[in-house]
Amino acid sequence: MTTTPPTIVDGPRSDLDVYADPALLDPWPGYRELRDAGPLVFLERYGMWAATRYDAVSHVLRTPEVFPSGEGVMMNDEMNKVLRGNTLCSDGAAHDASRRVIVKPLTPKALRPLHEQIRAEARALVDRLATRGSFDAATELAQHLPVTIVSDLVGLPEEGRERMLVWASEMFNCFGPMNDRMRDSFPVLGEMMEYATTQAVPGRLKPGSWAEAVHDAAARGEVDPGKCPVMMIDYMGPSLDTTIFAIGSAVWLFAQHPDQWDLVREDPSLVPSAINEVLRMEAPIQDFSRSVAVDHEIDGVRLRQGERVIAFYGAGNRDERHYPDPDRFDVRRNPTDHLGFGAGPHACVGMNLARLEMRAVFEALAETVSRFEVTHSERALHNILRGFTRLDVTVHRTRGR
Amino acid sequence: MPKIVYRVGDGTVTVDAATGTSVMAAALLNSVDGIVAECGGNAMCATCHVHVEDGPLDRLPAIGPAEDEMLDCTVSPRVSNSRLSCQLPVTDEIDGLTVRVADEQC
Repeated sequence: MTTTPPTIVDGPRSDLDVYADPALLDPWPGYRELRDAGPLVFLERYGMWAATRYDAVSHVLRTPEVFPSGEGVMMNDEMNKVLRGNTLCSDGAAHDASRRVIVKPLTPKALRPLHEQIRAEARALVDRLATRGSFDAATELAQHLPVTIVSDLVGLPEEGRERMLVWASEMFNCFGPMNDRMRDSFPVLGEMMEYATTQAVPGRLKPGSWAEAVHDAAARGEVDPGKCPVMMIDYMGPSLDTTIFAIGSAVWLFAQHPDQWDLVREDPSLVPSAINEVLRMEAPIQDFSRSVAVDHEIDGVRLRQGERVIAFYGAGNRDERHYPDPDRFDVRRNPTDHLGFGAGPHACVGMNLARLEMRAVFEALAETVSRFEVTHSERALHNILRGFTRLDVTVHRTRGR
Repeated sequence: MPKIVYRVGDGTVTVDAATGTSVMAAALLNSVDGIVAECGGNAMCATCHVHVEDGPLDRLPAIGPAEDEMLDCTVSPRVSNSRLSCQLPVTDEIDGLTVRVADEQC
């Protein structure tokens, strides 16, 4: 199963380059063009289909018997080989078995004991930064909880942890199509896999950590021991950058829409709804793909076995067929069905933790900060991830705080 | 359209549910109280907890591994007829299903 273009294309086509720099920095006009062109549109430059309407994206993600993950969810063959067998790239009983291990520390119940620690850490962080008045929200604010708390819970050996941010970002670049960004990142992925195979091993992992629990489960026969390295990637890849980018994007949106920040400050019970709205507007992961296992039709477009469909979460989230006035940031919308965490059997396994971290940060900010002003920003130019590498802000403290 | 009956506190709401949705989605669409469904129907948050009480109970799909894991996380304690309503697809076969919405979801 490959990304080789099909010989017959039975549906609308587009020569839009969705992975060119301008499209990555501002994907919304291109997404609209693709949504309007059809339920699925064949991307001629990449030889793959694009699903951009909400219903089509949701259908692809929720129909694993037609759109499996076992042939990989990336947009190039190399990467689909490397991660074969991890939780993200598996189906059926094998997926159930490894997801069950990976989800264990991430269920609402398992996370409950962490609530207080994460809230206290977020309050202290926000107090520190608000006292300074100006800081880089993309790093100093957004990275703190993932890097200090989450990487400790994952429990990889100390040497190498500082590389986690680089590895995660480069790994996600490798999810894209075979372009320069992907080729530049691929060697770093090798370094990450080497670490996962030779360093993230029993005896070197923090006792009681999530990574150790994967090896324990393998020792009990719950998962194939040979899959431990790629299962390390299930934790190493998505636990940091995604949440970091979401926190940065949230600050940026609140800076652009002070009226919406006022609503949250006046009624902090809106924080969970606002977080859903941020993830709808600015999904940190914009797209993964699925192979087509059997011939299939979606609203008149015929897919053939062996083809590949890219599911653009960020485009489905802005589909006016599903969300009225989709480009408007509305913290009261509470779009719980957004596709920012994906959907179906492979929906983000860390979503409860991500929500917990974001909630802690924005509840603390709602108490302390009345305004964000962005003084300088730089967006990541990335195949898959959307967010800021730098977001300098000046904050105004709430009177009396 | 199949009818789904929701018992919420002392009240009862009957909803015409579109096939292809879920017992959770039909509740949200018809403003039935008490279903939070924070994760949007992916068996990840345990906040659409119901007890299946009456109707074609033998027509419901078996509890899958993800649902089973998450049912251990409900705030109102799990009981023998606990289900996550997002994992109950609306079909003609479950016409008349009656569920009690769990008191506490989060």
